[in-house]
Amino acid sequence: MLTAVLEQTLNGLMAGSIYVLVALGMVLIYGVMHVLNFAHGVLLMVGAYLCHFFFTRLTGSYLAALLLSIAALALIGIALERAVFRPLQGNLRSQVIASLGLILAIEHLVIALWGPNALQMRVPATEALVPIGALRFPLQHVLIIGVTLAIIAGLFAFLKYTKLGTAIRATSEDRQAAMVVGIPVERVDWMTFGLGTALAALGGALIGPLFLVFPQMGDAPMVKGLAGILLGGMGSVPGAVVGGFIIGITEALSTLVLPTDYRDSVAFAVMVLILLAWPRGLFGVRVRGED
Amino acid sequence: MSLLAVEGLAKRYGGVAALAGCHLAFERPGVYGLIGPNGAGKTTLFDVVTGIVEPDAGRVRIDGRDVTGWPAYRLAAAGVARSFQECRVFPEFTCLENLLFRARAPESEARRLLRLVNLEKYAGEPAASLSFGERRLLEIVGTFMARPRILLLDEPAAGVNPALFEVLQRFIRTMYDERPLLFLIVEHNMEFIMALASEIVVMHQGAVLERGAPHAVQASPRVLEAYLG
Amino acid sequence: MAGRIAAAALAALLLAVPALAAQQPYVLHVLILTCLYAIPAVGLNLMLGYTGLVSLGHMAFAGVGAYTAAVLMVDAGWSFWLALAAGVLGSAAAGAAIGAVCLRFRTHFFMIVTLAFGLMLYSVMNNWDDVTRGAAGFPGIPRPAPIGEWSFGPLSHFYYLALGGALAAFAAQWLAVRSSFGRVLVALRQDERLAQAKGVNGMLYKSAVFALGSALAGLGGVLHVSFLRVAAPASFTLAESINAVLIVIVGGAGTLAGPALGALVFVGLPEYLRIAAEWRLVLFGVALVLITLFAPQGLAGLLARAWRAVRA
Repeated sequence: MLTAVLEQTLNGLMAGSIYVLVALGMVLIYGVMHVLNFAHGVLLMVGAYLCHFFFTRLTGSYLAALLLSIAALALIGIALERAVFRPLQGNLRSQVIASLGLILAIEHLVIALWGPNALQMRVPATEALVPIGALRFPLQHVLIIGVTLAIIAGLFAFLKYTKLGTAIRATSEDRQAAMVVGIPVERVDWMTFGLGTALAALGGALIGPLFLVFPQMGDAPMVKGLAGILLGGMGSVPGAVVGGFIIGITEALSTLVLPTDYRDSVAFAVMVLILLAWPRGLFGVRVRGED
Repeated sequence: MSLLAVEGLAKRYGGVAALAGCHLAFERPGVYGLIGPNGAGKTTLFDVVTGIVEPDAGRVRIDGRDVTGWPAYRLAAAGVARSFQECRVFPEFTCLENLLFRARAPESEARRLLRLVNLEKYAGEPAASLSFGERRLLEIVGTFMARPRILLLDEPAAGVNPALFEVLQRFIRTMYDERPLLFLIVEHNMEFIMALASEIVVMHQGAVLERGAPHAVQASPRVLEAYLG
Repeated sequence: MAGRIAAAALAALLLAVPALAAQQPYVLHVLILTCLYAIPAVGLNLMLGYTGLVSLGHMAFAGVGAYTAAVLMVDAGWSFWLALAAGVLGSAAAGAAIGAVCLRFRTHFFMIVTLAFGLMLYSVMNNWDDVTRGAAGFPGIPRPAPIGEWSFGPLSHFYYLALGGALAAFAAQWLAVRSSFGRVLVALRQDERLAQAKGVNGMLYKSAVFALGSALAGLGGVLHVSFLRVAAPASFTLAESINAVLIVIVGGAGTLAGPALGALVFVGLPEYLRIAAEWRLVLFGVALVLITLFAPQGLAGLLARAWRAVRA
C-alpha cells in the first residue's frame, strides 16, 4: 500500500511539475499584463513539436533541441504579445476570446502541417531507470521534477535579485506606480510574455520523450495549470507552484480510490471546492481593478 | 429618529483602518459637505452606506431601520443613490437611456434635467462620446431620476472643467429647492463645497473630527492640524 | 418598412427551401445543421453577447438536455415532445444549479469554473456507462412520431422541425432582448457595479440568463441527437463549447442575427470552400482573433455597416 502511495506521489510530482511550468508562465503574464492567456497549452505543444523537429532533423542532441525550441517559443510569444494581446489590453473578454482563436488556429495548423497522428520522440539517454526506494522510474521522470525544481529556485532568485525580475514584480504589484518610478512597462510586458512562453516550451520539450507528441497534448496541462493558478491565487507566483503540485499530486493519488476515468474531474472538483472556501485562492492576491 | 445614522462603524483593509469608530447622524434633509485629508475614510463611509462593502463593526440606520449589510441594490430600492469618484455611466447607452434606466421619473423629467445642465443636444448620443465633465454631469443628473431620499456624491467636481462648476452648483441647488433631500457630498475642492453646503463634516483617520457651519470649520485649529499634520 | 419586407421574404424563402432544393438534399443537410448549431448559440449569445458572461462549458448543458431526453425516450418510452420538454427543463435546472456556483466568481474565475463544470459533465457523459452508454454513444434515438401520414424521417420533413426550433429560439431571444430584462442584461455587461447601485439584483438576473441560456442549449441538444439518431459525448466536449463561442463572436456577439450568421458560416463555409477540415479551423481561429481585434460586432456588425454604406 505504501509503495502504491509513494509511486503515485512521485507520479503526481512529475505531472505537477508540468502543471507548475505552465502555471508559472501564465501567472507571470497575468501578473504583469492582467491577461489570461488560454493559449498557453498550445504553446507548450508547439514547443514539443519544435523540439521534436530540431531533435530529429537538426541536431542529435536533446539538450540543444530543447534550448532551440525554448528560444523559438520565446520569439513566438513576443510576437503574439505585440500583435494580439497588447492591443486588447484592459478588455478581458476580448483577450480570452482572442486566445481561444489562437488555440484553434495553432492547434489545427499543427495538424495540417504534421498530421493528426502522434509522433514519437525517443531520447535513449533518458530512458534509463532510476531506483527510488523499491520503485524504478525512468530518468525522464526524475529529470522533469529536477528541472522544474531548479527552474522554480532560479525563478525566485531571478524575481528577487535581478533588475528585470524586480521590474516584473513592481509592474505586477502596481502598474501605475511602476510607470511613475520609470520602469519601462511596455518592455516588461513583452519580456514577461517571452519568458512565460519559454517556460511553456520547456514543459512541452520535457514531456515529449515521455509521452507522445500530439496536437492535443497541451490541452490538459493548460487546464490543470489554470486550475493550479486559481487554487494558488491569481497573481501569486508561490501560489502557482503550490497549486500546480497540489493538483498533480491529488490527481495521482485519487487513482488509488477512484476509477481512472474520473481522474481529470478530480483536479477540477478540488479547484472548485477550494475556491468556494477561499474565493481568491490560497495565496490570493487582491488585484486592482477587479470589480 | 434620524434620516441617516451610522454608529461605531469600523472597516479595515489589510493592515489599514479605513473607518474606526465613525459616528454620524443627519436629522433632516440638507446639503452637507464631507471633507478630510486623504485616507480619512470618506469614500469607505460612502461604500458602507451604499452597500458596496460590509463594515467590520457598527450599524447603519435609515429612518431608524437597521440596514447594515444590505446589498447595494436593496439600498437603492430604499431610496439611496450615489455618484462615484471615478464617474460611472453606461458607455453604450445614450444619455437618455442612461437616465431612464430603472428610473422612477418619466421621460419628460429626464429631458427637463438634461436641459438644466445643457446636455439635451446629446440626448440621443452614447454616453461614451461625451467629455469627462459632461459625463460627470450626466452621472449626477442620473442619480435624481430614482427620486432618492439620500444622495451621496463622491467628489463631483473632480476632473471637471471649472467652467462647468457653476452649472453643477446651480443644478444641485435647484434640485434641492424643488425637493429637499439629504445630500452628502465628498469634496476636496473647498471653493466648490463651501459655497454649496449648509454644514460641513470633517473626517480624519476613520472618524468624525468636527462638524459645523462652513466658516467655523474653516477656522478650526483642529481641522487645520489634521490637514497639515 | 424595408425591414419587415425583408423579414417576410426571408421567412418565405426558409419555408420554401425543401421545395427549392428538392434535388439537392445536401443543402437541406447544411441548413438543418445550421439550425442545430444556431439554437445553443442563441443561448450563449444571451449569456455572453448581451450579459458579458463568458461561459466555456456551454455545450455540456446541451448534453444534459440531450441525454435526459434520450433516456426518457429509449428507456422509459416517452414521446419525443414530452422528452423534449423534459430535456429543456433538465438543462435549465442544471444551468440554474451550476450557474449558482459559477456566478459566485468574477470574470476570469467564472470562465474557468464554467470550463471545469463543462469538463466534469463531459466526464460523466463519457463514463456513466449504465445510463449514458458511455463513450460508445447512445444509439436508437427516435425522430418524433409521425403526425398522421407525415413522418419526420425524410430530411425535408425534419428540416421543418429544426427550423421550428430555431425560430422558437430566436423568438425567445427577441422577447428577452426587447424587454426590460434585456435592458438590464446589457447594463450588467457594461457596468455591473453601476447597475447594482441603480437597484439591479445582479445575481438574480445573471442566474436567470444562465438558466435560459442552458435551456436553449438543451433544446439544441435534443434536436441534434434526434437528427443523428444517436447521442455521443463527442458532441459536448470543451472543443464544442469553444466552437459555440466562435459562432457567437464571429456572427456578432450581442446582436439578434449573430447566432444565425455565425452558425451559417461555421457549417456552410467549409462545405462551400471544400477545404480540408484542419485548414478550416485554422481560418476560423484566425478569423476569431481578427474579429476580436478589428470588428468586435462580428459579421452582423460588418453587414450592418455595409448596409448603411450602401444606403448613404
